[in-house]
Amino acid sequence: MAEVEETLKRIQSQNGVQGIIIVNTEGIPIKTTLDNASTVQYAGLIHQLVMKARSTVRDIDPQNDLTFLRVRSKKNEIMIAPDKDYFLIVIQNPSD
Amino acid sequence: MPVNFPDVQGKRDTVKEQVTEDMLKEVIDLYISETDSISLLDIPSTFVSVDADDAEPIMERNNQYAEACRSRMDNDKYVDQSVQTLNGATKNKQVQSDSIVMVDKVGSTDSTGNNASGWVLSPVMSLLACIILLCFSSASAASSLKEVEALGNSLNAESDLQLIMLSEKFQHCLLVMERSILGNIFQPQLAAYRQLPVIEDPESPVKPGMGEQREEDAESPRSPAVVRLWAFSCELSRGSSVSSMAWNKKNPDLLAVGYGEFGSSNQKPGLVCCWSLKNPTWPERVIRCDSAVTSLDFSSNNPSQLAVGMQDGSIAIYNVKSRDNKACFISSSGCPNRHLDPVWQLRWTQQELSLTGEEKVESLFSVAADGRISKWFVSNNGLDCIDLMKLKKSHNTKKKAGGTTTGKKTESVLSALTPGLCFDFHPTDASVYLVGTWEGLIHKCSCSNSQQFLETFKKHFCPVNHVTWSPLSPDVFLSCSADWTIQLWKQDHHKPVLGFTSTQRTVCDIKWSPKWATVFGAVNEGQLEIWDLNSSILDPVIVQPAAAGVKMNSLLFAPQTDCVLVGDSDGQVTVYQLRNLCVGDSSQVTLKGKPYIFVPEQHQKRHYRPTWTTVEEIQYTFHF
Repeated sequence: MAEVEETLKRIQSQNGVQGIIIVNTEGIPIKTTLDNASTVQYAGLIHQLVMKARSTVRDIDPQNDLTFLRVRSKKNEIMIAPDKDYFLIVIQNPSD
Repeated sequence: MPVNFPDVQGKRDTVKEQVTEDMLKEVIDLYISETDSISLLDIPSTFVSVDADDAEPIMERNNQYAEACRSRMDNDKYVDQSVQTLNGATKNKQVQSDSIVMVDKVGSTDSTGNNASGWVLSPVMSLLACIILLCFSSASAASSLKEVEALGNSLNAESDLQLIMLSEKFQHCLLVMERSILGNIFQPQLAAYRQLPVIEDPESPVKPGMGEQREEDAESPRSPAVVRLWAFSCELSRGSSVSSMAWNKKNPDLLAVGYGEFGSSNQKPGLVCCWSLKNPTWPERVIRCDSAVTSLDFSSNNPSQLAVGMQDGSIAIYNVKSRDNKACFISSSGCPNRHLDPVWQLRWTQQELSLTGEEKVESLFSVAADGRISKWFVSNNGLDCIDLMKLKKSHNTKKKAGGTTTGKKTESVLSALTPGLCFDFHPTDASVYLVGTWEGLIHKCSCSNSQQFLETFKKHFCPVNHVTWSPLSPDVFLSCSADWTIQLWKQDHHKPVLGFTSTQRTVCDIKWSPKWATVFGAVNEGQLEIWDLNSSILDPVIVQPAAAGVKMNSLLFAPQTDCVLVGDSDGQVTVYQLRNLCVGDSSQVTLKGKPYIFVPEQHQKRHYRPTWTTVEEIQYTFHF
């Protein structure tokens, strides 16, 4: 448990990381380092995106599944690690 | 009026019958019958007379349909595929409103002495107010109910969080995430390491300083240099000195680094960190050892076994696959024959089994400051060793050869063994090895002969820090010593072929490049030097000074890439990339300048001319 906390702290202190959000299956953010409004916005929008991405991957090959999703935009990069029970979302600005 | 209460269910007390034995033995008949067929879809075909008006289009459509049915098999328009719809988790949507806080207005009391709020004045108004109050209170009750629900949900969320954080999958997911983030941060350096071509990002804003730099690069002649890529360091290792580094034999991205604090005589605990190239900020595994680590090596037969030699003489074998810190599974502390002095070097070497010759058995060899070279094997509860060689002091052997009168006094009272500092096995013949000693001698020994040295090479007069066979030239080896020199030897010559000095500092480590046969690297405390025998034997081709206040003390070449790792006394392992090192494969190398060896009179007119035949098979011959 302490190791997990340490890893989260390390991730947060990396260069350019703007926020970390952990969302449960229902779409409710359960741990976040951003403010409430952004967290709720990210959680809601990303939830839908991940569902769509996952069903895309599985429609092409039903034995496949989504393991990681990265959305690179002009200003930053959103990295999403989806799982059955949760999503882990990290927003990073790599050019910092 | 028919009264129909279909939904009313009376509660019937079901009387439970006691099941008796006799009832169980009774034969009961069950009748199975078919239900009526239920037809779900029934579109009967319609008939149209041939003479009707729309007979023609109908017949055409029939033909088309028959055609379509026939060509269904291979046609691209008809795809037979299973599709799985994923139902997302059902979400409870709640509406939450802030609870209405009722505050009694401390205002004027009316004539009846009631504490009246401003708007409760007339009975009609009061009735209205009551209704409103009722609504509000119910709303507040409802909202408070919903609050409780929401609170309840947040409690669930907390327990969810705990469950999630403790699961293994989450830890793996964090690992991948951390590596992706670091991949973004270190992308240019890692791409340079992996020798990927660099493509300029057209979108990124061009910084004003960069333009000038690029012009400079284009203009200056490409001189060989090292470029610092990144450094492996973390707070655990800061302050300790890097004593040894080793690459994993199976996974070329995994590096084990041993740390220890040398200098003070008390035994401080040491540390081994296994770093992965994908994460230069935190090691993958951290192993704490009882005393300072002096040497390490990965096994080739079992790639997850790491042997660690320590300053107190003990050797431990760790399994780096397991995340558990106490993953040491064998230690030599129980062995009665163990080394009592620092183990300066360890090596896993494969030697063929003499009987079958099929399987290459790997054994662990060590050389320590107590003057013994031992071969270790796993016995029932630990490591056990047999001595391959004892490094006797050279003046003793002279006395021995002197005559029979001093035959009795062959061993002096003080220890007759001299500390061994380094060894290296021959790349093709694993039974022959070289040992460098404290006295400055290098002995060539064989595993089968534990009494005598095959040959002794004398040149250094200070402790030999490192000795290494060339991986590409078969009989050539290098040695470096605290007497500020590096010597290049050929196996059958008793005198070194070439000697190199560049600064007046002890040379701590020396390694051949795995790619180029004429290139080797050396670190003395103040700088990193890369020598290329093809271009100059007097000066190193590249010199990289150490950072201020830091001493470089170990060196490792990275396989399959042109990078060099340097460990220093501050616990950092810096990765440098060699750039613009043009090592041509010319077939003739003439040595420029005078070599540092004694040239007998009659040979002075001839040139020393080594010939290099092909890049793979390089011979280093001299014409006398």
